[in-house]
Amino acid sequence: MANMMMMSSSKALITSSSTIPPSPRFKLSLAQIPFPKLPLPKSPKSHKPLTLPSNLNTISVILASSLAIAPPSLAEEIEKASLFDFNLTLPIMMAEFLFLMFALDKIYFSPLGKFMDERDSAIKEKLNSVKDTSVEVKQLEDQAAAIMKAARAEISAALNKMKKETQLEVEQKIAEGRKRVEAELQEALASLESQKEETIKSLDSQIAALSDEIVKKVLPVSN
Amino acid sequence: MNVLSCSINTLKGLYDISGVEVGQHFYWQIGGFQVHGQVLITSWVVIAILLGSATIAVRNPQTIPTGGQNFFEYVLEFIRDVSKTQIGEEYGPWVPFIGTMFLFIFVSNWSGALLPWKIIQLPHGELAAPTNDINTTVALALLTSVAYFYAGLTKKGLGYFGKYIQPTPILLPINILEDFTKPLSLSFRLFGNILADELVVVVLVSLVPLVVPIPVMLLGLFTSGIQALIFATLAAAYIGESMEGHH
Repeated sequence: MANMMMMSSSKALITSSSTIPPSPRFKLSLAQIPFPKLPLPKSPKSHKPLTLPSNLNTISVILASSLAIAPPSLAEEIEKASLFDFNLTLPIMMAEFLFLMFALDKIYFSPLGKFMDERDSAIKEKLNSVKDTSVEVKQLEDQAAAIMKAARAEISAALNKMKKETQLEVEQKIAEGRKRVEAELQEALASLESQKEETIKSLDSQIAALSDEIVKKVLPVSN
Repeated sequence: MNVLSCSINTLKGLYDISGVEVGQHFYWQIGGFQVHGQVLITSWVVIAILLGSATIAVRNPQTIPTGGQNFFEYVLEFIRDVSKTQIGEEYGPWVPFIGTMFLFIFVSNWSGALLPWKIIQLPHGELAAPTNDINTTVALALLTSVAYFYAGLTKKGLGYFGKYIQPTPILLPINILEDFTKPLSLSFRLFGNILADELVVVVLVSLVPLVVPIPVMLLGLFTSGIQALIFATLAAAYIGESMEGHH
């Protein structure tokens, strides 16, 4: 019956508020609904002012059981609830935290940190040593360049030498050929000259005979 | 009335399944003192996860890291980076503190979101992230306070307390107040975020048990990681602040 009455009272509140035009009072009346609605005051003990935990819980319960009423057994449990209940748990948690800190430091932070630092320094050292070898690499590169230069010079010298030699040879051969050709030409010219002289000589003798014959043929006529 | 009681019964069933249990603790008695058992159990699991995975991954470090070692090296470099940016060149001795802070909070938060704690039933209360309990966050925040006091005192001796009247002695009350607000804000930020995250997920699951809570859960994972980072970064910042020279 009490529940029914509460329901009706809450309804009456809502209807009365709905008749009033929207105003700050409307909000106030809405906010007041949860407190009279709950069947909390069952025993004389629960008449003490509402604490934060029970407030939280009532809100959640109201959400959970939106329009209906929370079961009466809940009220008793809410009374016992204590959010801010300090006791020996606090120092025990402190001790546990300190233990965890030392244990984690022993098995995690210190060893792994040391290991990571050592690895970092090792990598840095290696990097530095790599930087040092760059001088060596430069030396080697210089050497290689020098060798290449020398080789090029050698090759070009050899090439020049060969060129000169071949040129000389070629010139020699050309000169030889020219001499031979000239000699042959001279010979040929000389033989031609001698042949010419011979033919002229033979012609001379023939000329004499011919002229004799001509004279003989002409003279009797002229005689 | 009949309809009403029927709806109440079904709702009660739903409520029992979704199980919103805020501020409920599984109490142990140790020498007359009360202890939150669920927080201790989950914190042991978190510590076991951290130590176990670290031992396996770092047991035999290789020059060229692979798999787990690679991951742990990345995490260590991340922690070193955070400490270095906040503390400066003398960050070395503080790496274990900052790193443990970050890892413990991170794994705690994610364990609350990812590990199926609800499978294990407790007589009272439930298993959740250790950072869900105010005792844990206050313990971590107080340790941070002790750490930055220690850092300042070892670096500058009693001259460290000169910072309280540093710009002008008028600011003395504010400077003293800062020493109280720092752990307070640290602890409540973490506690509130993780608790709110779990609450939102639980409420959404109780309303719509399918698909809808998944984005919120992913958001919760994101928030958890951010909270761990914020806590570690702020701790490092406080330590760096107390170590840096005041001219």
